[in-house]
Amino acid sequence: MSELLKTLMQDARVWQGHRHVQTSQPAEPTGYQVLDNQLGGLGWPRGALSECLLDSPGIGELHLLLPLMQRLSHSGKTVFWLNPPHTPYAPALAREGVNLDQVVMIHTDDDGDFLWTLENCLRSPVTGLVMAWPGKLASREVRRLQLAAEAGSNVCVLFRERRYVEQNSPAALRLELEPGEQQALKLNIVKRRGSWPGQRCALAMSHRADLSFREAPRVVQGPWPTSTR
Amino acid sequence: MLWLYLHFPHLLLDHIRRTREEAGALVIVEGSGQKVIQACPDARDQGIQAGMRLKTAISLVPELGMVRADQQQEARILEDQARWLYRYADHIVLVPPDGLMAEIASLQRLYGGLPAVWQTVEQALDERQLTAWPGIGHTPPAARLIARTGKGECTEDSGHILRTLSQMPLLAAEFDARTCTRLQRLGLNTLGEVFDLPAAELARRLSPETLAWVQKIQGARPDPQSPWQPPHHFRQQADFVQEIEQSQGLLFPLQRILSELEEDLCWRQQETDSLLLILHHRHEEPTRLRIRTSGPEHRAEAFLNLIRLRFEQHPLRAPVISLLLSVQRFLGREAPTGQDLLGETQDLNEAWHTLMSRLQARLGDHALKQLSPQADHRPERAWSASAVQRNNRPEVTPASHLPRRPLWLLQGPQPLTEAPSAWFAGPERISGGWWDGQRVHRDYYIAQLNNGQLAWVFRDVRDGWFVHGWFG
Repeated sequence: MSELLKTLMQDARVWQGHRHVQTSQPAEPTGYQVLDNQLGGLGWPRGALSECLLDSPGIGELHLLLPLMQRLSHSGKTVFWLNPPHTPYAPALAREGVNLDQVVMIHTDDDGDFLWTLENCLRSPVTGLVMAWPGKLASREVRRLQLAAEAGSNVCVLFRERRYVEQNSPAALRLELEPGEQQALKLNIVKRRGSWPGQRCALAMSHRADLSFREAPRVVQGPWPTSTR
Repeated sequence: MLWLYLHFPHLLLDHIRRTREEAGALVIVEGSGQKVIQACPDARDQGIQAGMRLKTAISLVPELGMVRADQQQEARILEDQARWLYRYADHIVLVPPDGLMAEIASLQRLYGGLPAVWQTVEQALDERQLTAWPGIGHTPPAARLIARTGKGECTEDSGHILRTLSQMPLLAAEFDARTCTRLQRLGLNTLGEVFDLPAAELARRLSPETLAWVQKIQGARPDPQSPWQPPHHFRQQADFVQEIEQSQGLLFPLQRILSELEEDLCWRQQETDSLLLILHHRHEEPTRLRIRTSGPEHRAEAFLNLIRLRFEQHPLRAPVISLLLSVQRFLGREAPTGQDLLGETQDLNEAWHTLMSRLQARLGDHALKQLSPQADHRPERAWSASAVQRNNRPEVTPASHLPRRPLWLLQGPQPLTEAPSAWFAGPERISGGWWDGQRVHRDYYIAQLNNGQLAWVFRDVRDGWFVHGWFG
């Protein structure tokens, strides 16, 4: 090995994959054992940004966070929904055992307000989880949010469109979400701080509509013409 | 009975000077704007005197600050003074335009003697940077006359008070001009000489009113005074000599007003959650800002932070000539508890209120919502949004009796544009609303769309298909 390479190897600035040591960052279990295993037994990182990248709602993305919501709302932490694209349906949340007293929904008018609100929520000790649906975010702004998240110790999940997968991001955890077979949720870990990305898993999410793995659907009678619908 | 009279020789001047940051000569001119009636020490040093013509004053000091005297404003300022005096004495009488009277005989035991009462009041005056001439007398007019000479002494010796009164020149005794001239023509020069006249003759030769006044000074005739009652709200105004264009400039006077509010709230053992700030402009409608906190609050600092945030969001529309802060809503203060039943510390509670207040101040009151289920069969009415509130209700058990519903509800039903790839459950018929005209008659199904979304779709009576929610 050349002299140059050797000095480089000894330099602490070069990260070497095979000498990887387990980093212990604060985290909240996701409530899904399969996913926890893929995330190094940790879960959602606390005091850092997480991103969920998905195309359209209704593929089980909220159920992914539901165990965390249940746990945090019952331990007295507030769960913020910032600019959700649709209305979080209160009866469904109540049925799932989320303490609605701890759920706060916020709507902001412009991007400046959005970032300001998110930063304030992240810095507060009362916040347990922030779920945010930003419009467009410049990478400089994601960096700003990452710094704000580091100031607090709560979980912050940004829901963004799947086309941002290619774009790099300072978030500590990036998950790509896709619908899978039998209403499952396919996860692809795009980035994970302190470890290798690329793990894939699928979570069964059919319970979100009370569907068990029955072949025959429970539709009593199709009121639609058999040929078309 | 012993009365303490406070005479404010230049109350308006004091009021304006303490809301001013910059120094500079300042005078109060009379309503018509011709004559100087009050001058601050700065102005007096430069040769301006009360009674001087305004033109002369301006030629002496070209950069003179001027404020026109306004009766309503003076009355309001006097009431502000009564408000703080009320903390020290309960029986207060307002004597417009520039006097306050308090009954202090009953206070001596509380404070431990007359000198202590005197000192307490002087200290309070000092704190507020007010100039006042105190005077003590056994009757209200006596106290007033002594105070207005500026030679008030801390004594309850009636002989001494009477001597002071006797030596008072007739001109200072507040007889009407005609009586005063007549008395002087009789060869009388001091009040003491009037006291010596026989009462019946005084009434017959001069007028019964003159006798009444003399007797009231001496205390021989009853002179009941109805006590002033403090209003149940807080109201403070700051008036500016020069218009303020930057909101930063408003923070200085606000800080003083808010600390007075804090003191006031501490005295009342109360808190508030909403302030009304009115900014008056010269040519425009006043700006009304409602500052809300999410929980009861009394600290000036917290209010100031919220107001600062509000100013950052909404710059001033026009220069401000005066600002008014009022509080109408008071809440009883709760005793601070170390830990409540849920083990939640006061600290966390306070952090919650601080965060919500900050968010509300910047985003507006309607930006923050809390959700709750409602008892209705129609999906769009089975939930409601309300203003945020800190609830420490016992934890609710999962409401598993509720039917299965999607986590996302669309703002309104969206037409279903494609045939779903799979059908899972249904139909669930929801029919209702005949009682309030919002009729709903739908069959709901759970279906999966081609791109994998699990949707809550319905068909209504008109045979249209709609998506109403997503199983997120």
